[in-house]
Amino acid sequence: MSKWSTLQDRSFLESNARERAIGIVDEGTFTEFAGPLDRRTSPHLETLGEAVEFDDGIVTGVGKIGKTPVFVISQEGRFIGGSVGEVGGAKMVATLKTAIALADRIAKEFPKAADDEKPVVAISFETGGVRLHEANAGLLAHAEVMDQFQRARGKVPVITLIGSKVGCFGGMGFVAAATDAIVMSEFGRLGLTGPEVIEQEMGKDEFDSADRALVYRTTGGRHKYVMGDCNFIVADTVGAFRAQVAELAKLPVSAFEAMRRIGSAALVEKQLKGVALAAEMQPKDARDVWKHAGNADPVALANVPLDAFKATVKRLAL
Amino acid sequence: MALNTLEFECKCAAPAAAVTAPVHFGVVGSGDLEVLMTPAKAGGAVKVKVVTPVTGFDALWQRVLAAFVESAKLGDVAIEINDNNATPAVVTLRLRQALAEAAA
Repeated sequence: MSKWSTLQDRSFLESNARERAIGIVDEGTFTEFAGPLDRRTSPHLETLGEAVEFDDGIVTGVGKIGKTPVFVISQEGRFIGGSVGEVGGAKMVATLKTAIALADRIAKEFPKAADDEKPVVAISFETGGVRLHEANAGLLAHAEVMDQFQRARGKVPVITLIGSKVGCFGGMGFVAAATDAIVMSEFGRLGLTGPEVIEQEMGKDEFDSADRALVYRTTGGRHKYVMGDCNFIVADTVGAFRAQVAELAKLPVSAFEAMRRIGSAALVEKQLKGVALAAEMQPKDARDVWKHAGNADPVALANVPLDAFKATVKRLAL
Repeated sequence: MALNTLEFECKCAAPAAAVTAPVHFGVVGSGDLEVLMTPAKAGGAVKVKVVTPVTGFDALWQRVLAAFVESAKLGDVAIEINDNNATPAVVTLRLRQALAEAAA
């Protein structure tokens, strides 16, 4: 395990789940829930003769950024593609419940607590969604996590971090979309059906998953930023993600409502406008949408350094 | 079908190094493994538990672990491994990394 100080400059993309969890909060403040020493392995994988992991591929815990308690959920893509099963799902749900319980307690016992003294949740997604080996329990976990998001709404901001190798796909793509704010690096990828699955189902003519440029300009952080699917785009370091969480942690919980993608009649209207635009435009490539958003030269914009991209990009207005 | 669980003990000639606090290292990726080392009173021996989908290499696991314990002069430690088809070289590397982590 790298030291906290070296983790700050480390690539978020190349960091494992535990490094991300430790590095996203202040030095030495991370306390893990149900860590490797608790040996909570998946009973389903064991029955199937599949390799197990002591943390079931999800690191959960709590730390602090400044005065803010930050509850962290961090998925490990190298363990069965970051898939969510019964144990990992239960850890996610329990962490959310603990954060909500703390928020309730602070509201009751310390009604004058400042915005930066109230808890937030940060979820580092690296997953393809449900673990098919334990599909029913995994699906249920998705539903339970979404349920907790609804309970957390207006109490505890839930912040998504996406910048790991596997990206965030499958059912967990829906789950990420249901959080309050999404932070991505340009190497982060977010979607529902992943590139390989589209190719498998629809053929190489529809989507060539080996074409990395195509994959990134369809699911990558820059495209998601143009589309409004993510709120913030940051550099690929643990420290950059941490700095963005620190900024968000200062905000009142009411400020997060405007960052959401789903969850109100107005937002449904907005999403429907996007569907209508797609039907009208019939875009053949992400570049068509970038152009429509007002970016005259999408190819050049895709290739400039991140700071220049952020300074000049026009985002799609719906 | 179920996972292969191996439990055995290794003892080196002159055990010296001990692990004073639990240490965890690694991720159970494909061809990789995780190691958990915890202090354990075992009369100078090292208790090993390996959980792996691989069958037919039990003797090799024992040899790899025995060689590691001998070279690290390890004693009174419990080593738990969750493996996903790691090769012997990777096993040895991860064990050394875990031990380095314990010393850090």
